[in-house]
Amino acid sequence: MTADDAAVVADAPRGSRVPWDRVALPLFILGMGLVFGSLNPNFYSWTNVTNVARQSSVLALLAVGQTFAIVSGGIDLSVGSLLAIVSVLGSMQLVALGLVPGVVGGVLVATLAGAVSGALVALTKIPPFIVTLGMLSLARGTAFTITGGMPVVGLPAGFEAIGAGSLGPLPVPGVIAVVAFLGAHFLLRATPFGRYVYAMGGNEAAAVAAGINVRLHKFFVYCFSGFCAGVAGIVITSRTLSGQPTVGETLELYAIAAVVIGGTRLGGGDGSLVRTLLGVVVIAVLGNGLNLINVSSYIQLIVIGAIIIAAVGFDLWRREHGSAR
Amino acid sequence: MKRILMAVGALVIGATLAWAAGEEAYPRPAKPAKAYTIGVLVPQLTNPHFLGQAYGYVDEAERLGARVILHDAGGYQFLDKQIAQMEDLIASKVDAIALVAVSGPGTVPVVDRAVGAGIPVVNVNVMTNNDKVAIRVRSDDNVIGETMAKYLHERLKTGSVVMQSGVAGASAFEIRAKAFRAWIEKNSPGIKILGERHSLNTPDQGLKNMEDFLQTFPRIDAVYNSADFVAIGAAQALKATGKAGKVMIVTADFQPDTERLVREGVVTQAVVQQPVTMGRWAVRAAINILEKRQVPKLLYTPILSVTKENIASVDLSTVRAPAGWKPR
Repeated sequence: MTADDAAVVADAPRGSRVPWDRVALPLFILGMGLVFGSLNPNFYSWTNVTNVARQSSVLALLAVGQTFAIVSGGIDLSVGSLLAIVSVLGSMQLVALGLVPGVVGGVLVATLAGAVSGALVALTKIPPFIVTLGMLSLARGTAFTITGGMPVVGLPAGFEAIGAGSLGPLPVPGVIAVVAFLGAHFLLRATPFGRYVYAMGGNEAAAVAAGINVRLHKFFVYCFSGFCAGVAGIVITSRTLSGQPTVGETLELYAIAAVVIGGTRLGGGDGSLVRTLLGVVVIAVLGNGLNLINVSSYIQLIVIGAIIIAAVGFDLWRREHGSAR
Repeated sequence: MKRILMAVGALVIGATLAWAAGEEAYPRPAKPAKAYTIGVLVPQLTNPHFLGQAYGYVDEAERLGARVILHDAGGYQFLDKQIAQMEDLIASKVDAIALVAVSGPGTVPVVDRAVGAGIPVVNVNVMTNNDKVAIRVRSDDNVIGETMAKYLHERLKTGSVVMQSGVAGASAFEIRAKAFRAWIEKNSPGIKILGERHSLNTPDQGLKNMEDFLQTFPRIDAVYNSADFVAIGAAQALKATGKAGKVMIVTADFQPDTERLVREGVVTQAVVQQPVTMGRWAVRAAINILEKRQVPKLLYTPILSVTKENIASVDLSTVRAPAGWKPR
């Protein structure tokens, strides 16, 4: 049993009461599935299931990196803009140098941008919110400056396979996202790095006192978030088969929302990738299902906003309720 | 009484002209036996142009017994959202998709997927780079540019013109500006083009550009605008220097502010697209394709030349949604 699970059990009311924190979101997802499916049977079709996997893969990858940033006590607002810079620079490298250098170069660019944020967070007193807010603007501006606002075109045709291809019946972006979740889950739960991320998010002074190199591991956290944004950038670039300086606007907020809806607290020291995965599924199924039953995109914004607030409110209420007994 | 009769007469003539030159050039097909579902993807419903277009799709579909599923990307920067919306339409097994692309190259893969799923794609207004679309419905930007050039040639004969060509690299703006310049240089030796500026299509950019033009050139007789947000800025600059109405403004597009400026005589000519007609023709084309009738590869919707003199008689029902209309 890991630290997080133990905390959850300690929080939960004693006896045979329902462990709401474990079942609330899965039940909610199931309920959405029943409602959407009954209103439009195509919701259950395999095409649609693979669509949801493709559409949510980019958000999922960003949310994986975001989970580390939030659990460590920080936040990464730059990831949406990092998509743009990967899309633009990665595309230029794809056109000029070919498939492998383009993909590797694209991921590297975002990792480097994450490293810059990480170094600033680790070495200065500037809060992560401000550092990554600055990076958000820097990266977007760079993407526009390099391209003059125009899309980069002429990408090699084989590159399309990352976004549009399938491994057997499974869509490639979905597979990439699942691999990322498994790898990140292992990283957070079974390695010293993961334990340090929890420790410095829970109580930074205590972590320092325990001899953890907090600066180094903060740096790694933002490198990792940048890396995840890099992979996400490659996926979105392949899905659009062009380099788009405008892509990914406001996606960082959805990545944060996914983490928070899952039940991970802003402030750090707590959270898991299973929760984040559930948060991603909520946002993805909601958007897809509302599209399928033809609900206007304005109403969708209202619904998602209400769910973010409701999810966090429910979580807080449950914690208080539980500890009162 | 006589005035009322004249007004009625003008209305009838105007309506007849609009009917003859307007939407009936691509007539409404017979109502099909089957009730089709048509998915529609537009870039930004907060723009009155696309609200008018949305009305065109919805109203025409109603008349043809079809249903419209309308999705709004919320802005040209939300390519990922438009792609997801289009994938969801494919999963919903709609009969046809009308696409106003937020990105030419960026929509290529998803159009492939729709066509691969056997769903015909009608490309409307803003073009995708994918050639597998069944038909394209749009304004002819060459004609828009040339219409402004011809009008200035008739009104000015000789004089000096500056150009506000809008967003650099945006194809519609570029084509209009090139067509304008080419027609003037070929047919109007008396008119000299002094300068040309590219900028974002916003009033503040138009204001700044025009102020700089007025500082640079002592005599300007007219200003060309690829789109009307920069034209509104140019109008402000001319008003501030007391030159409104003395320097001609010609522009494409016709938002409510532009209409007011035409009525005031500040904007001299507006070349107006017909978004409602675009929506109607797109639905007609989709029905024709689904009913296995031949359709052309390309349909140009007509444009209107609106001036202070004819503004009272222009039929705006092909340009704007009825007041207060909202989708769903």
